[in-house]
Amino acid sequence: MVGLSEGEKHFIRGGIAQDLRADGRTKLQFRPVTVETGVIPQANGSARVRLGATEVIASVKAELGKPTVLHPDKGKVSIYVDCSPTAAPIFEGRGSEDLSAELSVALQRCLLGGKSGAGAAIDLSSLIVLEGKACWDLYIDGLVVSSDGNLLDALAAAIKVALSDTGIPKVNVSLNAETDGEPEVDVSDEEFLQFDTSSVPVIVTLTKVGKHYIVDATSEEESQMSSAVSVSVNRRGQICGLTKRGGAGLDPTVIFDMISVAKHVSQRFISLLDSEIAAAEAVMDE
Amino acid sequence: MEYVNPLTGFRVDGRRPNEMRQLKGEVGVVSRADGSALFEMGNTRVIAAVYGPREVQNRSQQVNSKEALVRCEYRMAEFSTGDRRRKPKGDRRSTEISLVIRQTMEASILTHLMPHSQIDIFVQVLQADGGTRSACINAATLALADAGIPMRDIVTSCSAGYLCSSPLLDLNYIEDSAGGPDVTVGILAKMDKVTLLQMDAKLPMDTFETVMELAIEGCKAIATYIREILLENTKQLEYRRG
Repeated sequence: MVGLSEGEKHFIRGGIAQDLRADGRTKLQFRPVTVETGVIPQANGSARVRLGATEVIASVKAELGKPTVLHPDKGKVSIYVDCSPTAAPIFEGRGSEDLSAELSVALQRCLLGGKSGAGAAIDLSSLIVLEGKACWDLYIDGLVVSSDGNLLDALAAAIKVALSDTGIPKVNVSLNAETDGEPEVDVSDEEFLQFDTSSVPVIVTLTKVGKHYIVDATSEEESQMSSAVSVSVNRRGQICGLTKRGGAGLDPTVIFDMISVAKHVSQRFISLLDSEIAAAEAVMDE
Repeated sequence: MEYVNPLTGFRVDGRRPNEMRQLKGEVGVVSRADGSALFEMGNTRVIAAVYGPREVQNRSQQVNSKEALVRCEYRMAEFSTGDRRRKPKGDRRSTEISLVIRQTMEASILTHLMPHSQIDIFVQVLQADGGTRSACINAATLALADAGIPMRDIVTSCSAGYLCSSPLLDLNYIEDSAGGPDVTVGILAKMDKVTLLQMDAKLPMDTFETVMELAIEGCKAIATYIREILLENTKQLEYRRG
């Protein structure tokens, strides 16, 4: 996808080795982040996140559904990512399916935890309306509008911001005999419940180029990577999920080293996002 | 249902029958593309990105090597519609709209100036509230101009309908799904030529004329707006160059 000459490749690798990347950043520095909330009025919550030239949109929609028989006390969340052909011509037609599926699964792993719903970043039991009868189904959709590397981190950040923007309508449930025990649900148009998003993690991807690793790689830098480790970390510094991509093998000690670096970087990134969310909400209130 | 209030003459969203929704255009929203634009008509919001002119990727698609190959893909975001449902990629509606946009844009691009090359137009619907076809064509025009692709003229598109015995300009989703006729017109603004004309449902001949004229008026208003955006953008570029 990225056509680079030998000289350019050498320049990128050499720059990373000397801790001065092609755009002037150091190895562990993010590109400037801009955050906008409420970009999709039809959704319950939405956000647009820009990381340099990478731009993603995340939307959260809530629909009333029925909890599964296995977990009558939990709501359902599904995450789906699509890569728009506007981001790159190779995403045209079915060309985006592989990458979309890879990103969706990585996000599900990091945000939803195991099959039982244990360890999920979103408190699934807060989505329940009436146990065994009604619950909220959250549909989280990500869209990659412009792609310049580090899509996973940008998507996770957008989902975090979109969830903090999400308002779930307040519901009044009345059970009466006439409807055979089926609950009658009255959805409020005015009152909304906010989510507790403090435990939603961010994802920090460390991309290994040569002997060094960097955060927030551009697509040029990604084309030179040997492998990448995506670590999702929440506010308390707990690891919520881990994905390794790329062909080259990694030494276990290097992975531990990478995780501790990711943990350190993520705390800076979370506080940066928090201040951006606060700023975006202030703009909305005006 | 009353789509036009008989007392006040206002429509469901408070517009007059010949009033367009608020337009908003922005150039250069996708930094990696050769040309890109965002176009909003009320709540309908689309992004267009243009890649090219570049080398032909798939030679079997090339019909005439003396002219540029124009391709187009229309895609709707999962969250663009009110009720969320999974649609397979490349469903019939998307394929048809892709074709319509391609043919409409091809009419204005000077393809003979770019032999052995291909131009890709990608339109992504972020929000659908009626008139996505028109919004996509307008966005594509802006994006093509941003990419610096030579064109005969600016292509703009607008829809009009006929409900409650009055012609209505720029239908939104509620009016669009009311079952009345929906006339989508695309014109070459300066040359005053129609490049796209589609209508569903039936309409008497003389009413059709007034409805189509209304749609053409809408197209011209959009053309004026698009020209303003491009002029402003060029001024910005000139200013930045110093």
